[in-house]
Amino acid sequence: MSPVAFGVLLVVVSTMVEGFGQTFLKKSAIDVARRHRWILLGVAVLIVEVLLYSGALRFLAVSTAFPITSLSFVMVTLLSHWLLGEQVTPLRWGGVGLILVGTSLIVAQA
Amino acid sequence: MSEGVRVPVKLVIGLAVAIALDTGLQLIWKIGVADLPDTSISDAAVAVATNPIFLLVIVFMAAQLVNWLKVLDHADLSYAKPFTSLSYVTVCALSVLLLGERIAPLQIVGIVVVVAGVWCVSVTKRSTVAPPVATEARPALDQERAAVRRPQPVAEEAGVE
Repeated sequence: MSPVAFGVLLVVVSTMVEGFGQTFLKKSAIDVARRHRWILLGVAVLIVEVLLYSGALRFLAVSTAFPITSLSFVMVTLLSHWLLGEQVTPLRWGGVGLILVGTSLIVAQA
Repeated sequence: MSEGVRVPVKLVIGLAVAIALDTGLQLIWKIGVADLPDTSISDAAVAVATNPIFLLVIVFMAAQLVNWLKVLDHADLSYAKPFTSLSYVTVCALSVLLLGERIAPLQIVGIVVVVAGVWCVSVTKRSTVAPPVATEARPALDQERAAVRRPQPVAEEAGVE
């Protein structure tokens, strides 16, 4: 695997990890009895995300890595629906799609 | 639907603070990572530990976490998270205003598209109704309470007579 492909893989994995971290943080608001456990788990997972992303920057230029991070909006929405049972209407999905395209356009030039 | 559109002030402030903190974080993060030595992971770790910028990052992240948990108390994750994409817009705008960077036409298109996306999300319902666990647990509890309550009026009547 080329260094660039490995870097891209790390960033994509980091966006999935972000999805799980955010899901755990939201869980803390739902499962109040175990609130602190969910927060700790969420924070631990988000620290892993930061490490993965920082690692990816050793193989990739920021201008390549940063646009990929907008995938985290898709990951968070998918996991909110699958794991938390949130209602994601077509309009909300449309919004997330626009955000994915828009943020990529903004940071692709950065 | 109308209930979801009427967003409480607390939530609006929480989302605005989240975007502001995210903007600060992204700007600081950019500077911090650019300063990191490329030689080895241990050198980078030492640089992270000794660089005051990373202390600032930690303070911002802690504030971000506290605020974000409050936001998630009032809204769905899939409703709140998309709003944070507005920080890409504010970072871009601040780079132009403060750092004198030039903005590309495609970036302006990107800003418009992001704002349109956030608008789409903002008009959807902000919380999914009752979580499944709560609705399943309630009927059994109500039946139990009813069973406990029923004999009481009889005992009171007997006492009065």
